[in-house]
Amino acid sequence: MLRKDNSGQKKKGSPKYGKGVIKENLQIYALMLPTLLLILIFCYYPLYGVIISFQDYVPGNAFFGEGVKWVGLKWFKKFVGGHYFWRLIKNTLVLSGLNLIFGFTAPILFALLIDQIKHLKFKKFVQTASYMPYFISMVIVAGMVLSFTGADGMITSLLSVFGFEKQNYNVNSAAFPWIYTFTNVWKGFGFGSILYCSIISSIDPGLYEAAKLDGANRWQQVWHITLPGLRAVIAINLINTVGSVLSTNTDLILLLYNPATYDVADVIGTYTYRLGILEGQYSYTTAAGLFTSIIGFIFTYIANKISNALTGYGLW
Amino acid sequence: MRQTKKRKIREGNPAVTVLLYVLAGLAAFVTLYPMYYVLILSLSEPEFAATMKVYVLPKGFNLDAYTALVRDTKMWRAYANTFLYVIPNTILMVLTSTVVAYGLNYKKLIGRKWLTMYLLIPMYFSGGFITSFLLILKLGLYDNPLSQIIPSCFSIWNIILVRSYFRTIPDSLSEAAKIDGAGVMQVLANVFIPLGKPIFAVIAVYTIVGTWNSWFRASIYLPHTEWQPLQLYLRRILVEASASATDNLDLDVLEQLLKKQMSGVQLKYAMIIFTSLPVLCTYPFFQKYFVKGMVMGSLKE
Repeated sequence: MLRKDNSGQKKKGSPKYGKGVIKENLQIYALMLPTLLLILIFCYYPLYGVIISFQDYVPGNAFFGEGVKWVGLKWFKKFVGGHYFWRLIKNTLVLSGLNLIFGFTAPILFALLIDQIKHLKFKKFVQTASYMPYFISMVIVAGMVLSFTGADGMITSLLSVFGFEKQNYNVNSAAFPWIYTFTNVWKGFGFGSILYCSIISSIDPGLYEAAKLDGANRWQQVWHITLPGLRAVIAINLINTVGSVLSTNTDLILLLYNPATYDVADVIGTYTYRLGILEGQYSYTTAAGLFTSIIGFIFTYIANKISNALTGYGLW
Repeated sequence: MRQTKKRKIREGNPAVTVLLYVLAGLAAFVTLYPMYYVLILSLSEPEFAATMKVYVLPKGFNLDAYTALVRDTKMWRAYANTFLYVIPNTILMVLTSTVVAYGLNYKKLIGRKWLTMYLLIPMYFSGGFITSFLLILKLGLYDNPLSQIIPSCFSIWNIILVRSYFRTIPDSLSEAAKIDGAGVMQVLANVFIPLGKPIFAVIAVYTIVGTWNSWFRASIYLPHTEWQPLQLYLRRILVEASASATDNLDLDVLEQLLKKQMSGVQLKYAMIIFTSLPVLCTYPFFQKYFVKGMVMGSLKE
């Protein structure tokens, strides 16, 4: 009863619909309008444009109305039944799988390692060094990798010391997944560790002291204090990584691959790029993109379910 | 590997401590050495550089690769284009993020729930780059330098970052300003903008580095070299011409190369150093902004 009265009073007395508030709201919306329009145009319109994956779209056509040829699931069937479908799926899963094994764990291991370094200046130096690759552009990184793994590149020479054949690894299909994975790890491990490091540093030092008194060794402290502290972030990052399993780092592959390595390097993203942007098959490639997004969403959903059940942490 | 070793030996064992320091040092070496190798090779005498076997210190000292490089008018044009995109993008990014964050933070905003939803949907769903490309065609932005500014001068992620920073500014400050007769615009200008400087720095730094390094959008929207940014120029020389390093170079520069008998690789390496220098020299100073942004971004969740 009392509560009801209160809320009624509040509504009556509150200035929510007062003249001044409406005027302020108008001013604020006027201020936000240009940005909100940009979002409408550049985020929502492309989302709406996905409708062309159910059409025979010709550039310049409207999405609805006269001249639109609806074709149902034709493009999806063509993609899934296509010659390259299983190759694309296999390549995408292999490259993402390697990235999950190495790219995902490297920042965590590095953060744990850095935490053990007690000499502050040295620690700062190693951390600053580890961020460097993040700041170098992907184009330069790819250029360096292509040069290092070429016929007389630095890495090729190094490998030949260990008995590997001297060859141009850029046109070697077997080498591509490793080159791709290592480049990803190299570029991202330092920067990816920032979040983990900041969480580790916020763990109560008293916990470590207590553990030491109980005779816990270095590894036991990591296992029983540090890692449990990181659980939530690891779970959330893992869900996101699993969710994006079908959207590999297209950027880097586009720069590193060539027709000689298509059989292992061509993924859904690069295929979409070649057929869509270069050949103009807009409806077909939009359908392929939509297919990827839907599968990605399903993956995220499942990973989230599993994580919620196992760790108690999830995106929702 | 690292873990199994840790497990075997008890805490306080100096051997493990040394091993951990060695591993950390190795990590730093692996990240820094490739760049260092590129640097010393680009500075060596051409006859040594051509063998690619320069590992510790430059063999000889020769700046010819750099003097040839600075004559490349195409490179300077691309450099200028990049600046042309970085500056407006950065300013507009700070502006667009600030105004929407301010609106979201305004206590009596009508329809906040809808606005939040409007911002969250594009963070999870996107139409992919094909439909964005079609939009650019439709808007007449294809082959137009504005295609490097208008679609990339806002970011929902940054809006949320600024908003979570604005939330930490005490209400009492804007209340006090209101009592003094300030309207919403004055509160923004006199309270939030001066106090928001740290977060503006974070966003500006993210945008500068992001725009400086981006190439994909430019590669699909800008078919002609005239307006292409530095990264696309680099892609032509470092990636596409990897078979023959001297393709795509200015004739002037090519002549220099032949005269000096310099290898294409050395010139490429000089180019890598020359174009990464602005970022490499400055990132240690603004890394703290990145760290701050990362940590704040995660706190919002």
